[in-house]
Amino acid sequence: MNKILKLTLILFLVCAITAGVLGVVNEITYQRIEEQQRIKTERAYAAVLASDGYEEVPFDQEAFPTVDLINRCTNGAGYVVTTTFSGAQGSITMAVGVDNDYKCTGISIIKHSETSGLGANAASSSEKGVNWRAQFVGEDENVAITKMGGKIDALAGATITSRSVANATGVAIRAVESLG
Amino acid sequence: MLTNIISISLGAILINNFIFSQFLGCCPFLGCSSKVDTATGMGLAVVFVMGLASAICWVIDQFILVPLGLEFLQTLAFILVIASLVQFVEMFLKKSVPSLYSALGIYLPLITTNCAVLGVVLLNVQNDYNFIESVVYGITGGLGFMLAIVLFASVRERVAFSDYPECFEGFPICLVSAGLLALAFMGFSGMQIFA
Amino acid sequence: MNIKKQFTEGLITNNPVLVQLIGMCATMAITTTLFNGVGMGLSVLIILTCCNVVVSAIRKIIPNEIRLAIFVVIIAGFVTIVDLLLQAYIPALSDALGVFIPLIVVNCIIIGRAEAFCQKNTVGASFFDGIFQGLGYTLVLIVMCVFRELLGSGRFGGGLIDIVNGFRFTLDGTGSGIQIFPEDFGASILTLPFGGFITLGLLIAIMQYALKKSAKKKEAAAKAEKEAEEVC
Repeated sequence: MNKILKLTLILFLVCAITAGVLGVVNEITYQRIEEQQRIKTERAYAAVLASDGYEEVPFDQEAFPTVDLINRCTNGAGYVVTTTFSGAQGSITMAVGVDNDYKCTGISIIKHSETSGLGANAASSSEKGVNWRAQFVGEDENVAITKMGGKIDALAGATITSRSVANATGVAIRAVESLG
Repeated sequence: MLTNIISISLGAILINNFIFSQFLGCCPFLGCSSKVDTATGMGLAVVFVMGLASAICWVIDQFILVPLGLEFLQTLAFILVIASLVQFVEMFLKKSVPSLYSALGIYLPLITTNCAVLGVVLLNVQNDYNFIESVVYGITGGLGFMLAIVLFASVRERVAFSDYPECFEGFPICLVSAGLLALAFMGFSGMQIFA
Repeated sequence: MNIKKQFTEGLITNNPVLVQLIGMCATMAITTTLFNGVGMGLSVLIILTCCNVVVSAIRKIIPNEIRLAIFVVIIAGFVTIVDLLLQAYIPALSDALGVFIPLIVVNCIIIGRAEAFCQKNTVGASFFDGIFQGLGYTLVLIVMCVFRELLGSGRFGGGLIDIVNGFRFTLDGTGSGIQIFPEDFGASILTLPFGGFITLGLLIAIMQYALKKSAKKKEAAAKAEKEAEEVC
């Protein structure tokens, strides 16, 4: 019994030291990680609808469960919506720019875990030399891929990703419309 | 809710099969697949451990790590949970269900280093699954693994009798056959769920 | 155990992926661009070296019964440190590799080396073992990446090399790489899971062929020597 106690103590000690070291590293990197995430979100916002500042506006969370938050552009250009929805592999987080005529001004994918080479192309800057996300500019709430009767060409081999991105864009525009 | 669960299950078993599209758990997949019997045993053990690990890790994450702001300890905590879980399951089975123990026993220690188990727990966190979704994802992910390893074992039993260049002996020919299976599984990626 | 021997063992004759056949999940999963491959390889190299040093340093004071548990804790610690540092300083890499960074914990290379090598060897030897085994792993990843990326999308050095604004290395993964031939001619299937399995299969086959050939050569040389002796 003494032996077991000793082993447990040693294991506990090792765990405690490791956890302590990790705590220190976390303390050091924490702010930078937050900062990086903020920069990434900011870049995504600027890419879809440029503004000198953004302020959060309340919306009906019940009606739009996939919408995380809606930001009004302080320069009056429109709104930027952050939305999280499920793609083909896991969840996708995306920023959607919506102008005052409820038209999409662009989309930008912040986080995803889609298949590299297929669905991941939705987030890459160019797929076979074409920016796939550019198709979304000017679309309204009825945006859909060609297979569903819309105008967006789906990514090759990634119909599910393309469809969920198109659907989420439509939902984001509708969420802005609901603000009135 | 139900549609969500069905789509998670179908996704984990067929569309995003752990082995063929996410490459999680390749080591035991290649190591324990020379016979259909051993493959089935390994598969069952993985389903069991993955389901349990998903449940326990979800509870630990939601009730201990997140409230205390210790998310950075997730990897450490999860691997310790999995390792001790495997130990407990082994002891429990040995005492109370010896028949199951004799069937699964030798595979259990191997599961600790199976990246599918740690992978499923980390993906549960990444995808913000709730308790039920996590458990469903764990079990169906394990079923997907089992499907893959059993299919692959039956292929390997046949490959053993075929002619191939000498330098492909052993692992290379397995990897090539696995690649062809992955190609077949790619057919599921176009599948639409509740379109 | 001299350094030169360790070098050839790590890189070729006892290469972790091609000969020991361990740590294959990540090898097949992330080798789609050079950026991923180099990033993953270097992360593993750093973690492996650190773990090797720590494990061999405390090898005499850890009780045998719980050594595996302690190894796992140490490895998980280093992996989390690297994970946090990547998130803070190279977020693009952290995004690209995703769940495969924390999964280094269960990468058999690291626990395998701790168990097979560092338990019995000095800190110095373990340090070099970590470096060379890590280099061997990185080398395989790079070969896989170059092969899959070139034939899959006609590119070289995606994410890592940028030639649009003059030749430079991009550490944020934004470089578009060097387009060797148009992407349309690439067999994009190679960048999919299928390509991962096939490429690794071919690489191991080539390795087995080479090792067998050199073994035969040695055998023949030994035989010739023996015959010469007999003639004398």
